[in-house]
Amino acid sequence: MSILSLKPTNTHPSKRRSQFTKLAIAYSFILPNLIGFLIFTLIPMVFSLILAFMNWDGANQISWAGLENFSQMLRDETFRISLGNTIAFVALNVPLTMAASLGLALLLNQPLRGRNFFRTTFFFPYVASLVAVAVVWNMLFFPSAGPVNSVLSMLGVQNPPRWSASVDWAMLTVVMASVWRGMGYYMIIYLAALQNIPTILYEAAAVDGADTWQKFRYITLPMLTPATFFISVMLTIASFKVFDLVMVMTGGGPGRATNVLVIHIFNTAFKEFRFGYASSIAMVLFVMVIGITVIQFYMERRWVNYQ
Amino acid sequence: MASLFNQRIGKLLPVALVLILIFTAFGGASAQDQVNLRMTVWDLATTPYWQALVDAYTAQNPNVTIELVDIASAEYQNVVNVMLSGGDDVDVITVKDIPGYSGMLTRGQIIPLNDYIKTANIDLSLYSGAAEELTYEGSIYALPFRSDIWILYYNKAIFDAASLPYPTNDMTWTEFEALARKLTTGSGADKIYGAHFHTWRSTVQLPTVQDGKNIVIAEDYSFMAPTYNMVTSMQHDGIIMDYGELKAGNIHYSGPFKNGQVAMLPMGSWFIGSLIAAQNKGEFDFPWGIATYPHPDGVKAGTTAGTLTSLAINKASKNQDAAFRFIQFYSSVEGAKVLASLGNLPAIRTPEVLEVFAAVSGVPAEAQTALQTTTVRLELPMHPNVGSYEQILNEEHELIMTGSVSVEDGIAEINRRVAELPK
Repeated sequence: MSILSLKPTNTHPSKRRSQFTKLAIAYSFILPNLIGFLIFTLIPMVFSLILAFMNWDGANQISWAGLENFSQMLRDETFRISLGNTIAFVALNVPLTMAASLGLALLLNQPLRGRNFFRTTFFFPYVASLVAVAVVWNMLFFPSAGPVNSVLSMLGVQNPPRWSASVDWAMLTVVMASVWRGMGYYMIIYLAALQNIPTILYEAAAVDGADTWQKFRYITLPMLTPATFFISVMLTIASFKVFDLVMVMTGGGPGRATNVLVIHIFNTAFKEFRFGYASSIAMVLFVMVIGITVIQFYMERRWVNYQ
Repeated sequence: MASLFNQRIGKLLPVALVLILIFTAFGGASAQDQVNLRMTVWDLATTPYWQALVDAYTAQNPNVTIELVDIASAEYQNVVNVMLSGGDDVDVITVKDIPGYSGMLTRGQIIPLNDYIKTANIDLSLYSGAAEELTYEGSIYALPFRSDIWILYYNKAIFDAASLPYPTNDMTWTEFEALARKLTTGSGADKIYGAHFHTWRSTVQLPTVQDGKNIVIAEDYSFMAPTYNMVTSMQHDGIIMDYGELKAGNIHYSGPFKNGQVAMLPMGSWFIGSLIAAQNKGEFDFPWGIATYPHPDGVKAGTTAGTLTSLAINKASKNQDAAFRFIQFYSSVEGAKVLASLGNLPAIRTPEVLEVFAAVSGVPAEAQTALQTTTVRLELPMHPNVGSYEQILNEEHELIMTGSVSVEDGIAEINRRVAELPK
């Protein structure tokens, strides 16, 4: 910190030089990372930002488009559908994943036999290959002979849903796979937070005659709010960016039923070669994610409890 | 500090000298017409003909070396596009399909070959129409070497068990449907399906353009209704496997056929090679045959649809003349024989080439007659906006086949969306 805040002052030349050396040494430490960041993140981002106002097919001259890309978005039906699908995915995925991971964390925070085994098991989907996860989920939810529908028909369900092969159920199928995949990771964060709650609070509450629900409602939940806040921000951003799972499970289909924004960006850029238009959609997505994150941070002080 | 600097130089100097020597050595060789060509290909390890053709050419031309740039087939066109956009000077580009061709052509990344063809005096009629399909606004940007056509595969064991005659080389789609209905038997795990339509859009849409009156780039797609009605009714009656399940299970067409679950499979001729290999490995043991692709009523037998694999030259290539000489060999009768001897259908299908193909061990006896075609329609025509059309057609195909919309509504939706495309 002291190195970075140093300003060249009119002191003795040799002192100034040593300051410069210090600064150079400091920067040389972050240089390897900085170079990677510049080449692979910052420059492409700035380029994409500029490209949002251009027309480019990836080969010929880039031409100025002004706001045309953005006005085209208003007329683009696939963009509207993808936006709606993305919002639906976020609205389902964020609360469901949070509820599932909190439930798991509470369960696996109990002194159970084989607790570590179950913790590892639930974390496993997060590190498993995504393509394998998607293929297995499609097999589980196979419309006619899949295990899920076999169970459903045994239970007497007349026309079990056709899951990823049906326009009405495809999104829910993807969300379920996404919840299953993500919950183990967020469970770990909740577990860490749970273990940080001082047991003295529960002991004091027990002395005052609080029951289990009251302990959960008035101690556990408030003490978990920092973790909940962190998870909600990270999960919202991740859900807006969803691409891989949808691509492998449904490819955006049937029709456009699960076509989310990033799939639309991918198709526009790499199938139709409209890099300018794709960049402008990416920018809209970026602004949306930033906007929602800012709102989340603004709301933070109202409900997050840093004890 | 200074001594450290000198030490460094002392160490680096020999390395630099060696590098300079290497560069001059290469420079000297290139002056003696030593050419190294780079060519983009896909799935090198599982596609034997790439190396075979290179070996055949370099045996005759020892001054040429050819370096194959291997790319995974599913990502092929994306990778090539990125390479070309980045200014890569790869010399020969294998053109995998028409959308890729249209794209590279309209972006000016591949060069017209007309002058070369004229100078080399190449007879384009040898390619039986394929060269015309690759011609855009009077210029041709690639020479075809491989051409796959759609044919009908059938499981002889199922036909024998049902005591029905094998499909002929002159069968209409109406006859095909009636035959499929007769061949469907059993239920559950033992069910035999009369026919199989893979999940690709083309399996249903190709028969709609066989008559040559319409192409897949259109304004009004009502011409597709009869075939969609036929296929959806077959699906509804359980004559073919359910589209949604094939899609959800990501089931490759080879599975149901090799398992003996389907009697007839309309598919491209590229499947011949895989079937022979699978049979040799003992993956299945029933006899199978091939017949000409069924045709609509009133269309001449032998009319089918096909894809072209061709070769183009990168605009940024520094060895364009040498690259053309290589392409010329690749797409000649001589190259075609090398290709055919490995069980692939070349773009040139003269009787002598087909003879080489039929002699490959495992190729069904019917091949020589079944592969004789009268007219080959391109799966996708040349069009600058072909990617957008394909996107719409794929999405609506999925909706129709999953029963999410009726045939009529699906086609109306295609018409509406195509009309809104930027012209």
